[in-house]
Amino acid sequence: MRPAMQFVDIANQFDCDITVSNDENNVDGKSIMQISMLAAACGTRLKIKAQGRDAEKAVKVLKELVEEKHFDEPTPSEQKNARI
Amino acid sequence: MEIKKGIAVSPGISIAKSLIIDSEDYRIPRRSIEPAQRMAEIQRVRTAFQDAARQLGQLESAQERTDGGKIKDIFAVHLRFLRDKSLRSKIRGVITTDLVTAEYAVSTVLREIASHFTNAKDPYISERAADIYDIERRLLKQLLGRRREDVEHLSQEVTIVARELSPTQTAGFDKKYVKGIATDAGGRTSHTAIVARSLGIPAVMALEDLTEIVRGGDTIIVDGNRGIVIVNPDEETIRQCERYGRELTELEHKLDAIKEKPAETRDGVKITLLGNIEFPSEAEIVLQKGGEGIGLYRTEFLYLNRPTEPTEQEHYEAYAKTAQVLMQRPLVIRTVDLGADKYTQSKRFAPEPNPFLGLRSIRFSLQNLTMFKTQLRAILRASVLGRVKVMFPLITNLQEMMQAKMILRDVMDDLDEESIAYNRDIEVGIMIETPSAALMASALARGADFFSIGTNDLTQYTLAVDRGNELVSTLYSAADPAVLYLIKAVIQDAHKAQIDVAVCGEMASEPEHIMLLLGMGVRTLSLTSPMIPEIKQIIRSVTIEDCNNVARKVLGMSSERQVSNYLRDATRKILPEAF
Amino acid sequence: MKFADFVCFEAIIPELKTTDRDGVIAELVWALDKAKRLKRGSRDEIVNAVIKRENEASTGMGKGVALPHVKHSAVKDVVAAVGKSSVGIDFSALDKQPVYSVILLVSPVDNPDRHLQAMESIFRQLQQEKFRKFLRQASTAAQIEDLLKEVDENPSLWI
Repeated sequence: MRPAMQFVDIANQFDCDITVSNDENNVDGKSIMQISMLAAACGTRLKIKAQGRDAEKAVKVLKELVEEKHFDEPTPSEQKNARI
Repeated sequence: MEIKKGIAVSPGISIAKSLIIDSEDYRIPRRSIEPAQRMAEIQRVRTAFQDAARQLGQLESAQERTDGGKIKDIFAVHLRFLRDKSLRSKIRGVITTDLVTAEYAVSTVLREIASHFTNAKDPYISERAADIYDIERRLLKQLLGRRREDVEHLSQEVTIVARELSPTQTAGFDKKYVKGIATDAGGRTSHTAIVARSLGIPAVMALEDLTEIVRGGDTIIVDGNRGIVIVNPDEETIRQCERYGRELTELEHKLDAIKEKPAETRDGVKITLLGNIEFPSEAEIVLQKGGEGIGLYRTEFLYLNRPTEPTEQEHYEAYAKTAQVLMQRPLVIRTVDLGADKYTQSKRFAPEPNPFLGLRSIRFSLQNLTMFKTQLRAILRASVLGRVKVMFPLITNLQEMMQAKMILRDVMDDLDEESIAYNRDIEVGIMIETPSAALMASALARGADFFSIGTNDLTQYTLAVDRGNELVSTLYSAADPAVLYLIKAVIQDAHKAQIDVAVCGEMASEPEHIMLLLGMGVRTLSLTSPMIPEIKQIIRSVTIEDCNNVARKVLGMSSERQVSNYLRDATRKILPEAF
Repeated sequence: MKFADFVCFEAIIPELKTTDRDGVIAELVWALDKAKRLKRGSRDEIVNAVIKRENEASTGMGKGVALPHVKHSAVKDVVAAVGKSSVGIDFSALDKQPVYSVILLVSPVDNPDRHLQAMESIFRQLQQEKFRKFLRQASTAAQIEDLLKEVDENPSLWI
């Protein structure tokens, strides 16, 4: 559940609404409950949508986290990057 | 409606609303609220989340990073859940639409989330369900607080649903309100099962994921005869079960009517019916059911479910309490049968490759003489309060019996020196539950005042079958000619030596085996109390001559199937309702 | 507890002179007395106490072994003498067989645990066919001492 925690922590730093979806469900990217349940259901393709003031930046950072870090255990430098 | 198949561990049938208790005894009944109460309940949820989060935050920051921060991380995840707005709104939604209490809404929502994880194929994810249960517990602790209700204060009939129950928990159930028991774990020989049977509460175990399916307040049928649990049954099923239940109750009432009558065969031979117990409180039940004393008090329950070994005084109080209930009726206290599947506090983490062939029972006691002596002192001290006898379990040879008796003797000398009263002529008996003891019965009879045949272990060791192992359990039968041969030999040797011989295994509570046992010469049976009336009914319906004929026939048979079929037919003629 | 912790190696009698139970008890208690393990002047009292205890209930364990014992203030810690008889002694054992090996214990009054610990050690070994056989075959005090020390060194070999 640690990756889900990272995701949610980052998502919550933005003002915009963030939605994550697989093929079937859309969930709130700021809710650890919803994100972890989505993660439990599948390991497939995820879509991240954001709407609001800093939406663009939010998508970029979260995409980076999911794609490049593969939700692995972060090293301190990665965490720093993710917080930009 | 959902039907779940498990293992029938305690007979009877019941219909009652579910009460889910987890290992920490929280009960979450479904309780309805008035619409006007909604805001108050929602406020309680909010406060519970805040308080739990504050507490957890303190725990988290106090946690050192000594283990690489694993525990700290777990707390951090839990904290995110407690701050999750959508989780709270989900719970709010349940309160608003279902009109239920905060506790119930929290429990329902979190269990639903947990089951989502449990169903995941990836074991890493499915194990996360434990985290959710942990969060649930944390919130319930806040919500229930001092008002935490336990099952000792029930006011309506319930079916207890739990992942697992401890024997002690189960022994505390009030039979008036606890109508049925259904658990995810456990089996027929688990201690909880034994306790449920002796309390006479219908129970089904090994239901695997029942707690995931059931919500507090669901209607549950527990069929302890067929091993079935039905969740939210339809009208027709309820009617069927009620009818079936009535028939069983009628039989029970009919049997209760003979409680006051003697356990005597039609040709006037007196049979002594005693009860098997695990807890002092059960002695009363044995007497209510028409038992004439206790033939087997399994004392290992004093050791289970507690952090430290019981003191001499705790042993004494349990024995004294039981002796006082029985007054001058016999009370056979068996020294601890620990080891194998039951360990004491000090040995719990010392597994053996073959525990049932290992350091268990009397062997364990003879290698832990300080513990053994503590128990013997307590038994001797209680011996002045009634007709207390002491019995050693799992004797396999003469030396073990002599060693145990020698220690008993040494303890007597100690008590003499301390001028503590005890009965110097206390009767000392042994369990015959290994083939070696059965074969050496004539030698053992010279040093024992009585025998008690433990048919469960005798069958297991004679046939080399673990009846808990479903791959071979069909081979387990006390009616196997090999087992019967040994039982017959033990009875003959006891008669020759003119000492008492009782049967205290499950065989003594099985209607189809009673005629055979009487025919083989047994005059004392010790059994689980709910079965005493039915067994008495059989005794009162037969003559010893009938029984002798049955025994003669059976002892000439060479297959278990032949024996079982014959005995079932013979008993059905006497007591058709029993089948 | 190890045998060396309670067996008095100076009180090992490889061939008992007497052949009756009370005689054997006296012989073993005398041996402990001679090895200065008993308080001066308590010898005869202990002999009588052991015999009295034996009269009340035999300590013949079966398989040719007896464990006569008594608690007495003449000792500070548990102490044992070992004696063997090739003719066999009648200890009124339950198996009605004569006794060939006798371990006699005198235990302190104020420390009952020491007695129990010594008994645990003896019980553990007496259940072993191999131990009983070797004990019976040992014919000198040195061999008996060696056997007991070997058991102490390597208990697992014997169990």
